[in-house]
Amino acid sequence: MDLSKLPNDMKLQLCKSYFKVGCLFLPFVWAVNVCWFFRDAFIKPAYDEQKLIKKFVIMSAIGAFVWAVILVTWITVYQTNRVSWGATGDALSFIVPLGRA
Amino acid sequence: MSLKNIYLLVTIILLIFKGYSCERLHELIYSSIEGSAACFRRLNGTHQTGCSTSDKGAVGVVHFVQDHDDVLWLATNASAGPYMAVVSTSKFGLVEFLIDHPTNIAGVLTYENASDIPSFFTHDTRCPNEFSSADGNQCSSSKEGGVVWNEKGTGLLKREIPFPIFFIPESRYEEIEKISHCFGRFNYDKNNQRGRSLCSIQLNSFMFAAINTEVCMRRSATSTIVTTTKVCDPLGDQNVYYSLFPRTKESKKQSITLVTARIDSASLFDGVSPGAASSVVGLVTLISAAAALAQLIPVSKSNLYDTNILWTLFNGEAFDYIGSQRVAYDIKRGVWPPNAPLAPTDVKLHVEIGQIGGSLSDYVNENIWPLNAFVPTLAPSTINDGENDIQIFLKQLSNAYNMTIPGIFNGSLPPSSIHSFRRILSNVTETGEMLEMLLVDHKETFTNVFYNSALDNSDKIAYAYKNISMINNVTFISTAELIADGLMKETDTQVKISRLATALAHALYQRVVGEAYTGNITVSAHLVDEMLYCFLKNETCKLLSAAEFGGNEGPREGAGPAPLYVGVTSWNTVAPVFAGHLLALLTGTQLSLNKSQCETKPESGYTRLWLKGWNHSGVCIETTMNFSQALSPAFIISDYDFKSGTYSTWTESVWQTMWARVFVSASGGSACVAAATGAVSTLIAALLTFWLRRHSSLIFVDPPSATIVVDDAASGILRSVNC
Repeated sequence: MDLSKLPNDMKLQLCKSYFKVGCLFLPFVWAVNVCWFFRDAFIKPAYDEQKLIKKFVIMSAIGAFVWAVILVTWITVYQTNRVSWGATGDALSFIVPLGRA
Repeated sequence: MSLKNIYLLVTIILLIFKGYSCERLHELIYSSIEGSAACFRRLNGTHQTGCSTSDKGAVGVVHFVQDHDDVLWLATNASAGPYMAVVSTSKFGLVEFLIDHPTNIAGVLTYENASDIPSFFTHDTRCPNEFSSADGNQCSSSKEGGVVWNEKGTGLLKREIPFPIFFIPESRYEEIEKISHCFGRFNYDKNNQRGRSLCSIQLNSFMFAAINTEVCMRRSATSTIVTTTKVCDPLGDQNVYYSLFPRTKESKKQSITLVTARIDSASLFDGVSPGAASSVVGLVTLISAAAALAQLIPVSKSNLYDTNILWTLFNGEAFDYIGSQRVAYDIKRGVWPPNAPLAPTDVKLHVEIGQIGGSLSDYVNENIWPLNAFVPTLAPSTINDGENDIQIFLKQLSNAYNMTIPGIFNGSLPPSSIHSFRRILSNVTETGEMLEMLLVDHKETFTNVFYNSALDNSDKIAYAYKNISMINNVTFISTAELIADGLMKETDTQVKISRLATALAHALYQRVVGEAYTGNITVSAHLVDEMLYCFLKNETCKLLSAAEFGGNEGPREGAGPAPLYVGVTSWNTVAPVFAGHLLALLTGTQLSLNKSQCETKPESGYTRLWLKGWNHSGVCIETTMNFSQALSPAFIISDYDFKSGTYSTWTESVWQTMWARVFVSASGGSACVAAATGAVSTLIAALLTFWLRRHSSLIFVDPPSATIVVDDAASGILRSVNC
């Protein structure tokens, strides 16, 4: 979709719905929202809907960042400790690697 | 283009395709090494053992290893590594050095060379099954001194090896010649290998399981949504048992003499475990003695005697006594044999035919075969001035064997199933209610220096097949006649085994009947000859085709002996089935019933088998022979602690493929040229694109407006979505 062809009210609606979808444990949607609307929120000259778009973009950015921190922390902890966790580590694994610990 | 030129072009294209389309590219590059056997991974309660590669296999530059200088060079000076050491079995000791210095080693390929047979080759531990031994064991692999049964044992069979090892048998020597040719052509200048095309080998034996039995069993049992991959299986197969008289719940009062031997052997390599001296001699002795005793005491006289003989063949003994641990465990909980369970006190005497084949090659020109009887330490109260039950039996056996079999009392007991009984049924074995005796051909150290190895074949017991015809296709020629006719000599392995089996049968006769045997029924060396042929040379043999299920048509396909490795529980191997059916055929009662009548329910204590028979027309055999599961108690006890060390915990890893191939690896030079060419062409393309963008107006009359393209960052991607 080419944002440049979209009227501003539709942009706001789109940005808002991306934010809402992201609330369903989908941080990547938030991240996409941030990238997609960054120009409209912060760089383009002011227009009516910009304030709200900015708000959704900032909230999406914070959400995506928090998620990223949580995920990176968990993945690091899991990857470094899976073997020492033994049975628990295996139970937490979706795919257990073959031929090694 | 003229018609003539088009014709020429088509011809050239056709020629190119005709010449090269038949062979795929990888067939031009790689040459498969056929008939090799790989070392694989097994696990126990605490460790993983054996070999594995990465899932893509291990690649290394071929180097033929002849002496210690070669391994030293591989470990320290070789520059084009990693290397694949190719070593004859006679120099296999050098591999030990490579295992200690594995950084530059991708793997080892070892080959059997008939003209260069090693003086010893055994990879079991110095004290086989040390950790499943009963109290009083004086053999320790870790401590110096004391008794060492398997003096030459490297222990590789039960150790973790850091690289793959493949074995090429003598029958595939041409593969080694192929590798040698390739090595001579490309790798000979060993000081100048860097950056050159070199002959290399790729070995693939990727193992799924890891860590230990507990982990792999847990992972095999876990059923996640995506993967239900089984990574390991418990080792196990079937035990075979057969009683002289039928045993029913009513006849349970009989006292039992248990005569046992082991079926299985092992080796480092998959599918190559001939076990001639390790197990086959004992197995054949047991079956032929059982066959003779069945003739000496007809089953119809069963109600005259209150002693019964229970012949049992254990499987999986090489791996912490799987079969005997299970039998002892089942006797303890009163469920074995299933149709009429034994009480531990029913077994008055346990005679194990242990490892007796090792010394046969030492006495190849003599007609003696000295044996020893190990008797585990008895409680002082049971030793009664030579009048002990076991001493009486030993005397009877020695008399029947025409040679004293000295009893070794109060010594350390060699590896045998007796250890399982002494550990699990200690309340009857320690008090002397169950007496035990182990028949072996050695004293402090095995005479067999190929114990549980790939080279423990028929040559090691000085056996050569005589291929003598049977009388009317149903009767074996007696040993006396064979010797009188000059078909066999007293020094032949077959004759010696028949003498021992006869002695055992006669001694057991005396034990059952109460008086010495005076008749002339003996074990035929002809039968022994045929049986050894079946177990050591070729499973497509007279005896086994007669003992095969009647339903099977035509000769069995198989160009060698059945491997005697116990294998995994989920897959029954043929060796115990052969042994069981042979026992049934040689000892059972032949009924004049047709196939459908044979399937009717027999009397209590019997089973019926429809076998092919000597003339392959089918016979109905009524027998007391049966099979029982040889799976370690560790796998049937719920919540068993695999680290406790009480029972055998061996499992075998699952693998998908095992293969080996040889090829000439490209020198590093061509790879560098390819990388440089790639970099240069990328650079040129970038410069060209840049120039074209700058000067597009020169090429395109009306260049498109650039404003749409650079409108926003994401539009380039998003425009592909149709909105």
